[in-house]
Amino acid sequence: MERKVDTSALWAVIASLVLFFIGGILTTVAPPLIDHSWSKPFKNADPAKGITGELRPLNAQQAAGRLIYLREGCRYCHTQQIRTILADTKRYGWKGVDAPISTPDEFVYDQPHVFGTKRTGPDLARIGGKYDTQWHRTHFRNPRNLVKGSIMPPFPWIVADPVELAQLTAYLQTLGRDKNWRPANDYEK
Amino acid sequence: MQDQISRAEATGTSGSAIVHEDLTSRWFMLSSVAYFFIVGIIALIIAGKYVWPDFMGTSSWLTYGRLRPLHVNGMLFGWLLAADMGLTFYIVPRLCGVKLWSEKLGVATGILWNVIVLSAVVTLMAGMNKGLEYAELVTPISVLVVVAWLMFAANIFMTIAGRKYQAMYVTIWYFMGCILWTAFVYLTGNFATLVTSGVNQANLHWMYIHNAVGLIFTPIGLGIAYYFIPRSSNTPLHSHKLSMIGFWALAFVYVWTGAHHMLHGPISQWLQSIAIAFSVMLVIPVWAVVYNLIRTMKGQWHQLRDSVPLKFLMSGVVFYLLTCFQGPMHSLRTVNAIVSKTDWIPGHAHMAVLGAFSFFAIAGTYYTAPRIFGKPLFSQALANWSYWMIMIGGLGMFTTLWLGGFWQGWQWNNVAIPFIDTVVALQPVWLMRFLSGVMIFSGIVMFAYNVMATALGPIPEPASRA
Repeated sequence: MERKVDTSALWAVIASLVLFFIGGILTTVAPPLIDHSWSKPFKNADPAKGITGELRPLNAQQAAGRLIYLREGCRYCHTQQIRTILADTKRYGWKGVDAPISTPDEFVYDQPHVFGTKRTGPDLARIGGKYDTQWHRTHFRNPRNLVKGSIMPPFPWIVADPVELAQLTAYLQTLGRDKNWRPANDYEK
Repeated sequence: MQDQISRAEATGTSGSAIVHEDLTSRWFMLSSVAYFFIVGIIALIIAGKYVWPDFMGTSSWLTYGRLRPLHVNGMLFGWLLAADMGLTFYIVPRLCGVKLWSEKLGVATGILWNVIVLSAVVTLMAGMNKGLEYAELVTPISVLVVVAWLMFAANIFMTIAGRKYQAMYVTIWYFMGCILWTAFVYLTGNFATLVTSGVNQANLHWMYIHNAVGLIFTPIGLGIAYYFIPRSSNTPLHSHKLSMIGFWALAFVYVWTGAHHMLHGPISQWLQSIAIAFSVMLVIPVWAVVYNLIRTMKGQWHQLRDSVPLKFLMSGVVFYLLTCFQGPMHSLRTVNAIVSKTDWIPGHAHMAVLGAFSFFAIAGTYYTAPRIFGKPLFSQALANWSYWMIMIGGLGMFTTLWLGGFWQGWQWNNVAIPFIDTVVALQPVWLMRFLSGVMIFSGIVMFAYNVMATALGPIPEPASRA
């Protein structure tokens, strides 16, 4: 058989595809069939079962803001996931309340997903409701005017377009709020 | 089996039967080298933006978030994959003892590839992207990539099907594997992700990202190393059997590991554990390959002194060993909790793509350029300088990013430190990374100039063909 492997190109093609597809199918097609939390939107009205809330799809303005987030490549420097790490829940909490850990059912409507890979800037999974529109406008114009030492790029072309600024801000305000984790602490209250 | 590589090459150079045209190889070599230089400028700009965030900051076309995907896609597809394809077009006919199946189709592939890269530049800078890392190119361009890949596959497989020697050298194995796996990996990352969302999509996407390196650049890069290390040193490969173990282990193990990019994240714990287990198993194919290549050089290490291709090849092998030791290590949950999402990761990624696979491609380019253009290399001294600049610059970049990233991870895990302080603390690291980048780039300029000068230089006297 070893001789066959060495000399038959057809045999090689078949064998390398079979080996590839064993792992390929078991790790991509099978998991969503096994773990239904990947496809069932978050919803819980019973405080006894844990944190309450409901995942809602974005409205048109928020969805347009999300496209701006994608266009400008925000995901290259900002993640959107509170990991199962204590420091994540503490660091991205708000006014003494720990941020809840991100769960698959919070991302069902994300297309494309923006979990991100690198935290050059802070995580944004629970940023919604922390800063008001005026703060975001000033920050997008030049982040260093508000946060000394920041290396975030300025986005003057977004600030100059009131529609785009409103869309992007509207999107950011939705982040992480499908879980009611700090209802009394919003900037709005 | 071990002398097969010599037999195949002897047929190619004896002049009795086959004269290789190498038109396709020339197309791919010259365009890949040009993109290496052009995208190198983009790389320097984005490294500079970490130190001077307002640098070129007021134009939407030049903002970090649009140049970064251009850097990644440009280096991966414009430089590295194009260079690797060009070398494949050079190697396969020689190992098979026949001419390339169709030079016309090959040149057409090269032209199409340039169309793809140039349209990628325009769309990415205009902010048009699919929003998925490594799969940013908008769908029409992705379709062109698939077409180009099918053209490449047809040419290579038809050449292999008409081969003169029945037994296939390990390089051909890796190239065939690369072509087949890439097709499915690319379709998963660029098309299956369009009809999925959320964690399901992220899982498919991570399978693609991981295997873009693991099942595209790894097999084609190792195929190149397996060809050029014995070739450059005139030494037979240590073990055919070991090379087969490495190949089949790679075929089975690599595809399982995608979820290790989401460790501690919102994805099923059992899937994370599977990914960790298989990530650790990656040391099997890696160590089989590295041992085989290092043993091949036994008693031949002195050759590194005079051979620039061998310098790049063997440094690439060492970087491959290191980067593939890091990979399994940061798949462990405890290590991952520190290094994940930090600047360690770009240090690791650059060692794989620049340190290992680009080193193999540069070595192959230096080795083949005089042969396909029929002229001696423009300057051996300049080639040697390019090695040392890229090597020292690369080491500077890798090590500062590792140290900086590890430090950053510790700071993040101490919640008493405000996030902005962890940014300010990294400034010296990013400055060092920029300066290392300047060194790497100067090496790239020397390399590109050397290859271009060889290609465009005067044709020497007939006797001096290298």
